[in-house]
Amino acid sequence: MAEAVPLVRMEEISKAFPGVLANDRITFEVADGEIHALVGENGAGKTTLMRILYGLERADAGRIYWSGRPVAIQSTEDAIHLGIGMVHQRFQLVPSLTAAESVTLGQEPRRGVFFDRARARAVVQELGARFGLAVNPGARIAELSVGEQQRVEILKLLYRQARLLVLDEPTTVLTPQEVAQLYEVLRRLVAEGRTVIFITHKLAEVLAASDRVTVLRRGCVVGTLPTREATGEGLARMIVGETMPAILARGGEPPGPPMLRLERVSAADDRGLPALVEITLEVRRGEILGIAGVEGNGQKELVEVATGVRRPTSGRFLLNGQDLTRADVAARRRAGLAVIPEDRYTEGLSLPMTIEDNLIATRYRALATRGVLRMVAVRAESAALMRRFDVRAPHPRVSARTLSGGNLQRVVVARELGGEPAALIAAHPTRGLDIAAARFVHQQLLEMRTRGGAVLLISADLDEIMALADRIGVLFAGRIVGELSAAAATREQLGLLMAGRSATA
Amino acid sequence: MQAFTDLAFATLRLTTPIILAALAGLLSQQVGLINIALEGMMLAAAFAAVLGAFYAQHALVGVVAAVVTGMLVALVFAVFVLRFRANLIVAGLAANILALGGTGYLLQVLYQTRGAFAPPGLRGLGTVHIPGLSQIPILGPILDGHSPLVYVTWVLVILTSIFLNRTVTGLRVRAVGEQAEAAATVGIPVRRLQYGMLLAAGGLCGLAGAQMSLGNLQLFVYNMTNGRGFMALAAVFFGQAQPWPTTLGSVVFGFFDALQIRLQTTVGVPPQITQILPFLSIVVVLTWVSWRRYRGRPVAA
Amino acid sequence: MTRTVVRPQWVGELGRSFVTFSAALVIGALVMVATGRDAWGAYRTLFAVAFLGAQNLADTLLAATPLIFTGLATAVAFRAGVFNIGVEGALYLGAFAAAWIGFTLTGLPAGLLIPLAFLAAGLAGALFMLIPGALRAYLRVDEIVTTIMLNYVAISFTSYLVNYPYAVPGLANAMSPKIALAAQLPRLLPPSQLNLALIVVLLLVPLVHWLLSRTTLGYELRALGSNPIFARWSGVPVPAVILQVMLLSGFIGGLAGAGQVLGVNYRFVDNFSPGYGFDGITIALLGRNTALGSLIAAVLLGALRSGGATLELFVDIPKDLILILEATIIFFVTAEFVLTFPRRRHAGVH
Repeated sequence: MAEAVPLVRMEEISKAFPGVLANDRITFEVADGEIHALVGENGAGKTTLMRILYGLERADAGRIYWSGRPVAIQSTEDAIHLGIGMVHQRFQLVPSLTAAESVTLGQEPRRGVFFDRARARAVVQELGARFGLAVNPGARIAELSVGEQQRVEILKLLYRQARLLVLDEPTTVLTPQEVAQLYEVLRRLVAEGRTVIFITHKLAEVLAASDRVTVLRRGCVVGTLPTREATGEGLARMIVGETMPAILARGGEPPGPPMLRLERVSAADDRGLPALVEITLEVRRGEILGIAGVEGNGQKELVEVATGVRRPTSGRFLLNGQDLTRADVAARRRAGLAVIPEDRYTEGLSLPMTIEDNLIATRYRALATRGVLRMVAVRAESAALMRRFDVRAPHPRVSARTLSGGNLQRVVVARELGGEPAALIAAHPTRGLDIAAARFVHQQLLEMRTRGGAVLLISADLDEIMALADRIGVLFAGRIVGELSAAAATREQLGLLMAGRSATA
Repeated sequence: MQAFTDLAFATLRLTTPIILAALAGLLSQQVGLINIALEGMMLAAAFAAVLGAFYAQHALVGVVAAVVTGMLVALVFAVFVLRFRANLIVAGLAANILALGGTGYLLQVLYQTRGAFAPPGLRGLGTVHIPGLSQIPILGPILDGHSPLVYVTWVLVILTSIFLNRTVTGLRVRAVGEQAEAAATVGIPVRRLQYGMLLAAGGLCGLAGAQMSLGNLQLFVYNMTNGRGFMALAAVFFGQAQPWPTTLGSVVFGFFDALQIRLQTTVGVPPQITQILPFLSIVVVLTWVSWRRYRGRPVAA
Repeated sequence: MTRTVVRPQWVGELGRSFVTFSAALVIGALVMVATGRDAWGAYRTLFAVAFLGAQNLADTLLAATPLIFTGLATAVAFRAGVFNIGVEGALYLGAFAAAWIGFTLTGLPAGLLIPLAFLAAGLAGALFMLIPGALRAYLRVDEIVTTIMLNYVAISFTSYLVNYPYAVPGLANAMSPKIALAAQLPRLLPPSQLNLALIVVLLLVPLVHWLLSRTTLGYELRALGSNPIFARWSGVPVPAVILQVMLLSGFIGGLAGAGQVLGVNYRFVDNFSPGYGFDGITIALLGRNTALGSLIAAVLLGALRSGGATLELFVDIPKDLILILEATIIFFVTAEFVLTFPRRRHAGVH
C-alpha cells in the first residue's frame, strides 16, 4: 500500500465520560480499500471511537479528515451523507418487516404513497448478488438466522451507498460457518471498492480477515501494524499490556482444601448459543484463581452461572462441598458466596437507594428477625462497614447516586467482603477505577486470601491477574484451555492460550 | 329468523364505535403507545357532536366538531406523553378524567343538567338506504338502513389495513412501533409519526363519539361511553394491533354487547356474565402470547 | 472539617407536588373564569367547606378515607415498580366480601364481626390480585393490561352477585341485603358519616410506612422498584416479591371496600365506587409512593371531593370541576417539565 491519502484520518481524538477517559488523543487512519481490524479489551475505547466517527458521540477534542478533507460529523445523518455506515453489535432491525423492507426503510422506493415492493426486492437481489450477500427479500427478519440478519444490516449500508463500513464485533453472534462466509463478504466488499473497519477482540479473526490492525488499550493507541507482520501472541500482549505488574505482598499460608468448585459446567448465552462448555474449576481456601482470557469468551456467563442468576445447562456448582447447583442467589450468598459484579452501576448497586440500603443488600435477611429489620444492627453494621472500608460519604442515608465511582466500588467491596465470605467471585473489579481505588480493591482481595477465603478473579487485565492470582486459568471459546501456576506462567504462554492455541503446541 | 336478523343488525350498530375506537387504539399501538385515552377522546367527541349538530342544525357539523374535539384531547395527551415524557398510562387516565369532568362541567354550566342532554330539534345522522341492498336475502335487512358512519367505519378498516401494509408511511409506523431505535437510526422521524398517529386516533375516536351520540341515539348522556374505550383497547390487544383481527375482536365484543340485551330478555343469562367475557378473554390471550414467547426459557431466580 | 448540608430527597419531591397542586388550581380558575364563574369565591368556599368547622373537616376526612386506602394500595405496588391498576377491582371484591360477612354472620358480636369483615375483604382483594400477580411474576404477562381488564371482571362479577344470587327484591337499585347492626362501624362525629374506618386507615399509614422502611419485604420491594437487576444480583427473590406486593396491594384495596360498606353504605351497592381505585393512582403519584405522602394527597383530594358537592349547591359551580382539577394534577404530576432536547427514546410505559 503506497502512502496514499487515507480514506479516514481521526486525529488526536479525546472523549471523556464521567470517571473515564474513553479516548485519549487517539490518532487512527484507515486506507482506502483495506480491511482494518480495531482490537482491544472492553473499555479500551474502540466502540467510543467508532461512535464518534459515526456521529453518535461528539469528541471532546480532535479532528476528522475524510479523503484528506476536514469534516465535522455532528450526527449520524452527516456520517451517512459522507458514506460511512455502521453495523451495531445489537442489530437495528424490526423483526416483523421483510428483508426488502428492512434494507430500504427510511429511503423507500415508492409509487405515490405506496411502498414499491417489487423495486425493493429487486434492489436487495441485485445488491445481494453483487456482494455475495444473498437473502430472501420476502422473508421476515424474525425468520432469518442471525447471520442472515447481519447480511441485511450490511445491505442496508450498501443501499445507502456507504463507502466505509464499520462492523462492531460482527462475529460474536455468528457460527463458525457464518464467520467464514462473512470473511468472504468482506473480501467482496473490498473488491467492489469499499473499505471496512471491524471491531473485535478475537485474535484469530484479526489474523484471518484483516489487512491492517490497530490495537487500543485504556483509551490509547498501542500501535498499528500490517496484519502479516502480526502474531497472535504479539497482539495478545499488546492488548493486555506489557507493563510490569506492581509487586504486591503475597505471602501467607499455602492454599488449603477446596472451597469453590465448578464441575463440567455448560451454559448458554442470551441467544441460546453455547457460551460455556464443560468448565471445571476449583478454588481452594487462601487462594486466588485468576481467569484470564480475551473478553467475550464466556466470562460474563461464568460469573452469572456462579452467582446464580443464570442457570447452567449442565454441570454442578459446589461451595465448601455443598452442592448448590439448584440454589438461587440468596441461598448461595447465605452459604458464604460473595460477588463483585462486572457492572457496579446496574448489578452491584441501586443508585436511587441510600448507601446504607446498598450496604445491606446481600445481608438484609440476616439483619432481620422474623421479617423485621433490626435497625440498630443495620445502622451499626453499615456505619462499621463505611469506616472499615473508608467509604467517604456525608451520611449513610444519602442516595448512592451522590458518590464518586471509586467510592461506589468501595460500597460494593465493603458489602461483599465485610461479611467475611468463604468465597468471592470478582468480575473485573477494578475496571474504570483510578489507580488509588484499584489498589484498594487489590489489597482487599489479597486480605481475603490471607484470611483463608477463596477468590475467583475474572479480569481482562492481565497485569491484574498476574499480580494477584496464585493460579491462572485461561478461558477461550467457553473452555478452560489451560491452567498454569502464577509463578511459572509467562506472558508468552498466556498470550498463546488467549489466542486459542495450546500452550504445549 | 327475525331474532337472528335483529341481533346481527344490533351487533353491527353497536360494534361501530368500538371498531372506530379500536382502530384508534391500533394506530397508537403501532407507534408503540398504549392508548388508555380512547375513552376520554370518545366521550368528549360525543358531547361535541351533539353541540355541533344542535347549533348548526346539521349532523355533519356535529361530526366535524366531534373529530376536532377528539383530536384536541389527543393533542393534550400527545404533548404530555411525547413532549413532557409523562407516563403513558397515567396520562391516559388523566385524559379520561379530564373528558369526564369537562363534559360534566359544561353540561351543567351550559344546560343545567346532570344526566341526559337531548336538545329539541337535534338532528341525528339518520339512516342510509342503499338501493337494492335490502333485496338481498338474509344479509339485506342486516346490512341496510344503518347510520352512514357504520359504512364509513368499514371503509376505514380497509383503508387502515392498506395504510399499514402498503404505504411507505405505514411501513415506517410499524417500524417505529416495533423498534423505535432501529427506525431512528435510519433517519425516520419517530416523534413526528407518533404525534401523527395519536392525532389520527383522536379523529377516529371523534367519529366513534359522533356515532354514539348522533348515530345510535340522538342524545348525550353523562359518561355515556361507559368503558367502551377500554373494550376497544381490549380488542386491540386481542387482535395484536392488526387491523382485521382487531376488527374481529371488536365485532365479537359488540356481539356480546348486543347479545346480553337479548339473552337477558329471552334466556335469562345475566348480562354481567357476558360483559365479563371480553375482558377475561384478553387476559387469556395475553397469557397465551407470553407463554409462547418465553416457553422453554426458565425465569431466572 | 467540612460540613455538608444534606437535604433529604423528600423536600424536593414535596416541593414538586406543591407546584403541581397549585398549577391545577390555576387551571381550574381559568376554567371557571372562562365560564363566567367566580373562581376566588369558589376556592374560598371550597376551603371553608373542606376544612373550617368540625363537621366540614369530618366530611373531608370521610371522603378521604377510601382514598387513603387505595393510595396506600397503589403506592406499595408502584414502589416495587409494579404497575398495578387493579385496586378498583380489589375494592369491589373486598366490599362485597365485607358485606357478605356482615349480612350472613349476623349472630356475631361487633368485636368479632368487624375484624372478620375487614379480613375477608382484604383476602378477597388479595385473591383477586393473585391472577395478575402470578401472571406477571412467573409468566411475565404485563400487569398493566391484565389489571385494567380484570377490573371490569370484578365490577361485573359483583354486579351479577347483587343482581342475581344476593338480589334484594323490591329495591330500585341493585344492592345486597343490609349488614347486621353489629357490623356497622361506629360514627366518630355524628351527624357526619365519618366513622371508624378512618381510624383503621390512620393506623394503616404508619404500618405501611413501617413495612416499607423496616421489614425485609419492604426492603426487597424498594430494591426491586429502584433497580430490578441489582435486586436479582443481590439475591432478592424477584418473582416472589412481585407476587407478594400484588397480594399486599390487593389486600389493602379490599380493605378500602370494607371501609365503605361497613362505615357508609351498610350494603354492597352495585357500581358504588366513583373510581376510588383509580384515584389511588393519583394519590400514590402525588404522594411520591410513600405512606405519609399518600395520606396527605388523599386528604387534599378528599377535601376537593367533599367541597365539590357543596360548591355545586351554593356557588353554582358543577362538582365536575373537581374532576378537571384532578386530571390536571395527574397530568402535571407525571410530566417531566425539564427542557430536554428531543431524545431518541421510545416513549414507553415505565
